[in-house]
Formats: sequence, structure tokens, C-alpha cells
Amino acid sequence: MSRDLWFPSGMTVVLTIVGEALAVGMGKSLFPIAAAEEATIVDEAFQTLTILAIPVFAVVFTFLVYSVLRFRRRGQALEDGSPIHVHRPLVGAWLLVTTGLAVTVMIFPGATGLAKVRSAANLPPDLVVRVEGMQWGWKVIYPDKGVSTSQELVLPVGRRVKVEVISKDVVHSFWVPAFRVKIDAVPGMVTTVSFTPSRVGSYQEDPGFRVQCAELCGTGHTVMVIPVRVVEQEEFERWLVAQSQRT
Amino acid sequence: MAGSSVAKDVGLRALLPLVKGFLFGVVGFLAGSGLVAGVRALMGQDPWKLGPLLVVGYIFGLVGWLLGVGMWDYWVREWFGLSRKEEPSAGWGRFFRFCTDHKVIGVQYLVTFMVVLLLGGLLAVGMRVELMTPGRTIMGPGTYNTLMSLHGILMIAVAVAIIIGGFANFLVPLMIGCEEIAFPRINALSYWLIPPVAVLLLATPLMGGFETGWTAYPPLAVTNPRGELLFLLAFITFGFSSILGGLNFLTTIITLRAPGMTWFRLPIFVWSILAAAMISLTATQFVGFSLLTDVLDRVAGTSFYNSTQGGKPLLFQHLFWFYSHPAVYIMILPAFGIVLEVVSHLARKPLFAYRWVAGSFLGIVGLSFIVWAHHLFTSGMDERLHLPFMVTTELISIPTGMVFLAGLGTLWMGRLQLNTPMLFALGFFFNFLIGGITGIYLADVPTDLHFQDSYFVVSHFHYTIMGGEIFALLAATYYWFPKITGRMFSERLGRLHFWWMFVTYNLTFIPMFWTGLHGMPRRVADYPATLADTNWWVSVFAFLLAASFLVFVWNMVYSWVRGPVASANPWQARTLEWLTSSPPPHGNFPREPEVVGSPYDYGIPGAVHAVVGAAAGASNGE
Repeated sequence: MSRDLWFPSGMTVVLTIVGEALAVGMGKSLFPIAAAEEATIVDEAFQTLTILAIPVFAVVFTFLVYSVLRFRRRGQALEDGSPIHVHRPLVGAWLLVTTGLAVTVMIFPGATGLAKVRSAANLPPDLVVRVEGMQWGWKVIYPDKGVSTSQELVLPVGRRVKVEVISKDVVHSFWVPAFRVKIDAVPGMVTTVSFTPSRVGSYQEDPGFRVQCAELCGTGHTVMVIPVRVVEQEEFERWLVAQSQRT
Repeated sequence: MAGSSVAKDVGLRALLPLVKGFLFGVVGFLAGSGLVAGVRALMGQDPWKLGPLLVVGYIFGLVGWLLGVGMWDYWVREWFGLSRKEEPSAGWGRFFRFCTDHKVIGVQYLVTFMVVLLLGGLLAVGMRVELMTPGRTIMGPGTYNTLMSLHGILMIAVAVAIIIGGFANFLVPLMIGCEEIAFPRINALSYWLIPPVAVLLLATPLMGGFETGWTAYPPLAVTNPRGELLFLLAFITFGFSSILGGLNFLTTIITLRAPGMTWFRLPIFVWSILAAAMISLTATQFVGFSLLTDVLDRVAGTSFYNSTQGGKPLLFQHLFWFYSHPAVYIMILPAFGIVLEVVSHLARKPLFAYRWVAGSFLGIVGLSFIVWAHHLFTSGMDERLHLPFMVTTELISIPTGMVFLAGLGTLWMGRLQLNTPMLFALGFFFNFLIGGITGIYLADVPTDLHFQDSYFVVSHFHYTIMGGEIFALLAATYYWFPKITGRMFSERLGRLHFWWMFVTYNLTFIPMFWTGLHGMPRRVADYPATLADTNWWVSVFAFLLAASFLVFVWNMVYSWVRGPVASANPWQARTLEWLTSSPPPHGNFPREPEVVGSPYDYGIPGAVHAVVGAAAGASNGE
């Protein structure tokens, strides 16, 4: 009996250590390119959840596999197992642990991550960009600069951007994977999302730099994509001037 | 039940009700659409506007079909003082007509939805061919969207109906020791509503397809090609069938339990159906309403969701998910019931923490109604809703965790028979563990901002529904195959099926978490070239996964026809369905069973669950 408890418990610990080492060791290499300050909040939340998930996976997996190997019937006659109906301390402990885990993830990374996202969104923006979704493309408008384009989303690095998203027809969703931000474009509403690009980059460099429609919007949904380019402030200014001269 | 004279169908005459149903349906359709055209012409409007003709024609056609297929003969005649026709109680013809025997209806549901499952799987193969390489592979984006949308709704229908409609129909009356379901004719009605659903869905490509997925978000659902209308009508009809089913199971389980079958002597599968039926009866009405308003916006030009006239597209999403999140518990609760049932009987151990599990099921029912907005974290809804819905969603992990404890606790110190049903039940626990854990990443608002509508979601829900529910479904199919067909399946082929499917299933879906994390949105026919290798491998494994079903189908079909005859109780299990012959006779038991103990008292000498009549002399005491 005691061996039946100690062996899988030990295996659980080993599996957990190996899993955690892998998760922590691989670290950021698991993630796609992160090009906004907000992306770190998302990636950190992901890592926290993974660290918490590994022991859960390990304990269930080990005891499942151990039971199968240890308690399988090997050609003996059909006989019954021990008549254990319930083990109250175990049920109590299990409830305590699962409740503890649930409450933990609600607070950390849940509520704390949410607070971080919110507080970043509540800061005054350096730049407001209006993005219109339509079947099937994106129109980017820089209202203060009198510039608009349907070709790309150009943003200055290190400046807080607030994107106001609207839709001309059906529901779309504004998603930039490299920024880890997403907000639907809903007809009759203005939705907003705020973020600060943290590094220079372009779609050619990594496809994470793109505005991708993430809400099914009809035949052209798949190709409702425009590239994102994050540039230095000076280059951004030059680009704006060039654009306004073009129009 | 009048059973003394056995009316039997012979030959092709047995198919007559189907022909009659079809003809009545056509007549109904013509009458309905003619009526609309006439009324519109009288009111000076264009009589040939297709939308109203289709909708009203369909409603009349549906009624015609139901009357023709058997409602008239076996039901409605009574309302007019005519005598009700007698149902045939034997012969294969029963399976093709309006029949009120719960076991026949169970088989009708099972076979129908197995076919739908295979069809939906075939569509998935088509999708994976397109996704094998970046760029256009074999089809355009419109075709892909229709294929994907059809795959979605067909599989949703399978997931909602196959266990409740199939196994619950067959087994619940047997397990609670009664001879028939509470409302047999409503039960038959809920099955015969299904063929029109299938016809409508398969006709959508003929009318331009539909490209909204199964979620039917307006305004897209309003502006989409005409196939969308057929899809909406199909979904509403399906919902109606589901509501009737829920009503029937609730009533049956509450009122028809055999003497001595107290609440805590119910097999856990019956508990899970009770819980699922509560959701099915109540929540489905909301999706009916949301789809109906979609239809009205389309056909009658109302503006429930037209923002230029004061409508709110976001309102639809709330209504839709108010059903569609609880709906996943209609799918998974019966799966919990099945695997715990199978694990207990095949490990020959009492179900661990039985009462806690029953309580957890009810807890899940309660929580399922207050989590819907976790589908809307990026929808632009009021941000104050984020935290509460994250909290309620994560609370569901507590009752779900109890199911895992019950499974593990039951296996512990058991005498496991590692046969096919047991393997699928064990596979369920592995897959659902991954499905459950990844659910937390989607419930957590910060991570969901990235994962919402990505392949991470695709993989997560396939882990819960396919890796979870479908594995449980297969466990059930193998476990109860001898009871339903009276024959045994090939154990070797069963094991081959399990290992083949389990391995290829995981190899197909694990990489999708990665593609989602790396920015692949769901419901797209193309992706950046950086994701090409992963998608190629996913497609290859998906084809192998699909091929594993060939083994399954062969095993089922061949064994049903040629398999060795099964005994009444091949697993030496204790629940009531095994105390009658395989397959059970009309009326189920020779005498009304009397329940005297728990169904799970393995290892307790002399313990008895039920006695089926002194004359029959059958009892399952050790």
C-alpha cells in the first residue's frame, strides 16, 4: 500500500520538476515575437498559468498511468476491487487544492494581469489612430494628421497608441499578434485598444506584424490582412509628411 | 403498450412512411409558400420574394413531413376521434418510421448521428487538404467557409444529440427500471425533426452556402448568401428537438424510476443526463430566440441587429452564448457520466465519491448559466464584465476537478479490465485533462486577449469535445454495443482503433496550440508561410486520424451482422440494463424491477442492486 502511494507521488514530483525546468528554460523562445509593452503582460500571464498547470497535469497523468499499469487485471479470474466508496479527507483535500488553484489563477495572473492591461489603457495616448474594418480590408486614419491609408498600419516606436476601431459593415476583429492585442470592430460602436509598440519591425521581418481580422466576416476574411510597420519617431514623421503630400 | 399481436412490416412496404412523409412535406411546402405568395399579392407586394416563401413554406412543409411520417397515423388521428393505428413492434421497418419504442429511437439517433459524425469528419478532411499548404490548395475561400461552417454545425449537432438522443434514449429507461420514456410520442417527434435539419444543412451549398460558421453573428448572417437562411431554419428546428428531448428526460427521470430507485441509487450516467436535460430544456430557448431574430432581420427587414436603425449586433452575441456555452455542458456532462460508469464497472470498484460527483454535476449546471460572456472578452462589451466572468468561468474547474478525482479514485486499487471501452474512457481522462487546463488560458482575460478566435481555441474545444466527448462516445459505443445489438465486437480491432485514434488525435491537435499562439486565426483558408510546416504535419496526422474511423466502422458494421452472439451481461456489470436480455425485449423487463441497493457495490459480499421479479429469478448478487 505505501509503495503504491510513494512511487506515483515521487513520479509526480519528478515529472513536475522536469516540466517546470522545460517551461522556465524555454522561456520566451516558446512565444512569437513580442513588439509591444502589453505583450509582456500576456506572455507573463501565459507563463504563470503554465507553471501552475504543470503540477496539475503531472499529478493526474502519473496517477492515471500508474493505476493502469499497477491495477490492471493480468489474466486472473474476474474479481472485485476494494469496496472504497469515498475517502472524506481526500475529497476535502482535493476540494481545498482545486479551489485554492482556481482562486489563485483568478487573482494571479487573472485580476492582476487585467489591472495591468487596464492601467496601461487608461494613460493618455501620444497618438490616436482610427481603424475602419470593412469587407474586406482595413482603412487606417490618422485624424490629427489628415492622413489615411489602406495599405499598412505605421506606428512610431515607444509611443502610446490608442486605436479606435469601427466597422463599416459586419463584425470584424482587429488583431496584431506581435502586440497581443485584439478588439472587435462592431457596427454602431467605437471600440478602443491601447498599446505601446516596444520595438521596430515590419511584416517582412515577422508575420506577427500584421493587422489580422480575427472574426469571421465572409468570403474575404482570410485575406483581410494589412502589414504593420513600427518605425522610429523621425521616420514616422517623414512618412506622415510623404503621405499627406500624396493625398 | 399493446403487444399481444405482433404486427410486422415486410419488404419495402416498411419504407412507405418515409415516402408519405416526403410527399406530405412537398405538399406542405407548396401550400405554405403559395399562401405567402397569395397574401403578398393581395397586399400589393412582390409575391415571389424568396425569403418569406422559404420560411413559411418550410414551416408548412415540416408539419407535412411530420404528419406523413407517422404523427397522423399514431397520434393526431386520436384528436379527431379516429382510432390510432397500431405500431409494428418487430422487424427492421421500425427503424425507418415513426416509432415510440425508446430503444428504437435510441438506435435511430445513434446511427443517424454516427453517419453525420463521419460526414462532418469528411468535411474536416477537406479543410485539412486546403490547409496543407499556404495559398490556395484546392478550393476558394468561399467554399472553404461553407465547408468549415457545415463541419461546425454538423459536429455541434452530433455533440449535442448523439449521447442524449442515442445512449440516453436507449439506456435511461433500462437503467431506472421503467418500460418506456415519459412521453414516447414526443420522443419520436424529436427524432423525426432531425431529417429535415439534415436536408436543409446539406442543401445550403446549393443556395450559395453560408459563411458565418455555426455562430451566425449578425450583420453577416443577414447579408450572407441564401444558404444562411436554410442554416438558420435548420438550427432552430434542431433546437426545438433538443428542448423536447430535455423535457422528456427530466420527466422520465423524475417520475418513472422503479420502486426503490432513490436519487442516490441512480447510476451516474442517469445523473449526468438529468443535469444535461435541465440545460437542454431551458437554455436552448435562448438560441432559438437569437436565431429567430436573425431570420426576421433577414426576411422581414426588422432591425434587431441593424445598428443603423438602433439594433445591437453585440446583443446577439450575448443571447447566442447564453445558450451556446451551457450547450457545451449538454455535450460534456453525459460524457462524464459515461466514463465514470465505464470506469467503475470495468475496474470493478464502487464509483469513488459518488454523491460528490452528482452534486458537482448540478453545480456545473448552475455555473454554466453565468459564464457565457467569457466568449466576449474581445467583443467590445462593457469591460466591467471581464472580471466577474473570468471568476465564474474558473470556478467551473472545481466541480470538473471532482470528476477527475472520482475517476482516479475509482481506478485506484481496482481490478482493471483494459478492454476497448476502458481504453477509450482512459483516453478521455488524458484528453480532457489537456482540454480543461487549456481552458484556463482562455478564461484568463490577459491571455485570452491574444488567444480569442485563434487556433488555440480550435485546439482547446476539440480537446474537450472530440478528445473528451467523442472518446466517451466511443467508450459508450463499445461498452453498450452488446446490449444494443446482441452481438460482440472484435476486441482486437477495437484496441487497434483506440491506439490509432489516440495517437493520431493528439498529434493532430497538440500543434494547433502552437499555431494559435503564433498568430493563426481560426476559420481561415490561408496562413503566413512561417506556419506552413506545422500545418502540413497537422494535415497529415488529421488524414491518419480520419482513417482510424474506417477500423471503427468496419468493426461496428461487421460485428452487428456477423459478430458472436453476446450474453445478457458480458461485462458482469451491476446496473439494471444488464439484467435483461441483449437486446432487451419490448417493454424491457419481464417484470418491474425492484431496486434494493447501490449500483456500485463491488467488493461487498452479498450486495444486490436490483431484483427483476421473483419468477424471472434474476438477481445480480455475488
